Amino acid sequence: MIFGLQIIALLFAFSMIYFALLHFKRRDIDALEFYSWFTIWILTALIIIFPQILRTFARTFFITRLFDLMVVGGFILVIFMVARIYVKTRKYENKFEEFIRRDAIKNADKSKKTK
Amino acid sequence: MKIFIVIPTYNESKHIKKVLEGVKKTGYDIVVVDDGSTDNTNAIAKPYATVIKHKVNLGKGAAMKSGASYAFANGAEAVIFIDSDGQHNPDDISKFIEKLEKGKCEVVFGVRRIARDVPVIRGMGNRIGIVLVYLLFGIKVSDLLCGFRAITQAAFKEIIWSSTGYAVETEMVVRCAKRNLKHCSVTVQTIYLDGVKGVTILDAFSIFFDVIKWRFSL
Repeated sequence: MIFGLQIIALLFAFSMIYFALLHFKRRDIDALEFYSWFTIWILTALIIIFPQILRTFARTFFITRLFDLMVVGGFILVIFMVARIYVKTRKYENKFEEFIRRDAIKNADKSKKTK
Repeated sequence: MKIFIVIPTYNESKHIKKVLEGVKKTGYDIVVVDDGSTDNTNAIAKPYATVIKHKVNLGKGAAMKSGASYAFANGAEAVIFIDSDGQHNPDDISKFIEKLEKGKCEVVFGVRRIARDVPVIRGMGNRIGIVLVYLLFGIKVSDLLCGFRAITQAAFKEIIWSSTGYAVETEMVVRCAKRNLKHCSVTVQTIYLDGVKGVTILDAFSIFFDVIKWRFSL
């Protein structure tokens, strides 16, 4: 039997598949990225419908309730993604700064030569 | 010693002319780094100095880095940074030059009379920062946040900073301690003409966390 919470989670998983498809069609992500996200969300949907799949896994880590396992797993995933986004943002910030600074110095040199 | 005066600026059309007129009297090369101003700061500065224009606003730290990089690439042996909001007296430049030319200091920090010249809240934040930096890095500079300071080319290579915003002054002090550079201070005059600009309470919090981060990352 599927409970209310599972229905909400399923709807969320399917809407994420829809968004992945949308971004793929708009060419924001490539085929590999789309199939990766598609697989992730299908696996998520399967876990939502058949949570028992995770029972052995939960026992290994001494987690008695499956819901707890999902919450812990979700937290780890979110922290991982935030850390990854932080690093990427910093990297782009540094590149952007470097580009603006180089461009400014280059233009200053040019205007000095033309004086 | 070939010295360049570097002035980072952002939307300072009100004050920059007076600052430039004062600095021009010293006879040194002037580099103004216009950090993406949307007013006519750039046009005002052009007759007085070489202007480096950032197409977007990156922050004071990035502007200082561009100015110093340009100056050192064009033969400077040392640069003196001065704020563009008119809070510093260009006459104090001679104090920095004296310290630099004696060869005793690689980095010269301008020190304001915090109790007398700096607004109370900023002064308090500055004092907390001074204690924190002293405890974590063992360096005592009596004014962490004063933008009036000088640095030699060799020291610049050693302490080239990564902060793009207002944390730059504190990072310079911290890196100076980490690299054991010879440093000294000179007392400078300060007049606050614009109470809204400069380091805000949010910047102060951000600098606080940066200091903690540098303790482990530098």
